Amino acid sequence: MSKANNVMSSPATNSQVDRLVADLVPVSRVRARTGLLIVAAAMLLAFMVTVPIFGVRPDVAALRPGEMVLLRSGALLLMGVAAAWAVIASSSPGVGSRRDGWRWALAAALLFPATSLALVLGGTPFPDGVLHASSAPWCLGISLASALTIGSMLTAWLRRGAVTELNRAGWLTGLAAGALGTFVYNLGCASNSVHYVALWYGLAVGISAVAGRLLVPRALRW
Amino acid sequence: MRADDTTMSALMGKAQKGDAEAYRAVLDHSRKWLTGFYRGRIDPAGADDLVQETLMSVHAKRGTYDPSRPFLPWLAAIARYRWVDRLRRGYRRPESELDETLSEGDHEAEVIARISIDRMLAQLSDAQAEAIRLVKIEGLTIAEASGRTGQSESLVKVNIHRGLKKLAANVESE
Repeated sequence: MSKANNVMSSPATNSQVDRLVADLVPVSRVRARTGLLIVAAAMLLAFMVTVPIFGVRPDVAALRPGEMVLLRSGALLLMGVAAAWAVIASSSPGVGSRRDGWRWALAAALLFPATSLALVLGGTPFPDGVLHASSAPWCLGISLASALTIGSMLTAWLRRGAVTELNRAGWLTGLAAGALGTFVYNLGCASNSVHYVALWYGLAVGISAVAGRLLVPRALRW
Repeated sequence: MRADDTTMSALMGKAQKGDAEAYRAVLDHSRKWLTGFYRGRIDPAGADDLVQETLMSVHAKRGTYDPSRPFLPWLAAIARYRWVDRLRRGYRRPESELDETLSEGDHEAEVIARISIDRMLAQLSDAQAEAIRLVKIEGLTIAEASGRTGQSESLVKVNIHRGLKKLAANVESE
């Protein structure tokens, strides 16, 4: 076979092009803003289900949230939205277009466990009340149930896309769902302790991220 | 005639709306581009299958293309994904020889070089890249690759496993 023939396409490839053209129908584009709307809708759904069961903090209900609520809400929202945006953007792939801004939001959120650790290392004992808090199962339960709702709806939407880095998408989906699910819980969480946020919120987000890494890639393979 | 990336973006935008003529131009261009893209990175007999698989993916995922963005990086990401997937499935044709020639597609060498598979392989350690080249691309057995590289057979397997994992994690990296 000559070199020229080597680089020509086979008849099979040519007829494939004919088939694909014949099969063409208008297609609706996969738009990132739709993905963000899906995430917002999932958060709202989780919130609507959570409020009648768990309620919201009085200061949040009065629209005058305390400092700790503002700080942790901001960190969780920032991390959740940044991770969600990164994975949503990956539904339309492109070499050189990877978004890593979520790493900075994660670093900011890690200030809570870092602060807790610094306090303990500085001589402040880790509070027993936080370790054995009766609200801990609620924290994990509501955060993870909300994360499951958000993560499932996000994953279902992502399946329409063409995600090429599946493990990364799994981590990011789990991280986004965990942060936003924990945000929903935080609106009703009575604790104002940085140790509580470090331990229980950190655990909820961590479990969700690991679950995302383990479960999401197989759903996104194409 | 060769379409530039701006033209391809416009054509793909029309194809998304159902313009068959534009779509044929996109597929023809993609087919040629992919043939050059895969050449030397998979054995020639497998390359044609891989081009067809990638065109199927382009068809199935055409809704994910954003016409406001360049076309080739989108096509390259899909091509890389299919290539890594092919390697992971253990595709091997030991009897075939690699075709390192370049003819049609040479004119795109600069673009291909920028976003080609070689850039991905360059992110691996030398041992990982060599093991993948020999076993997954050239079709050598593990034992043959072991003899060629001086790595033990188990090390060749480990290097392939870790290398493929790394490739899959870097489909979109430059």
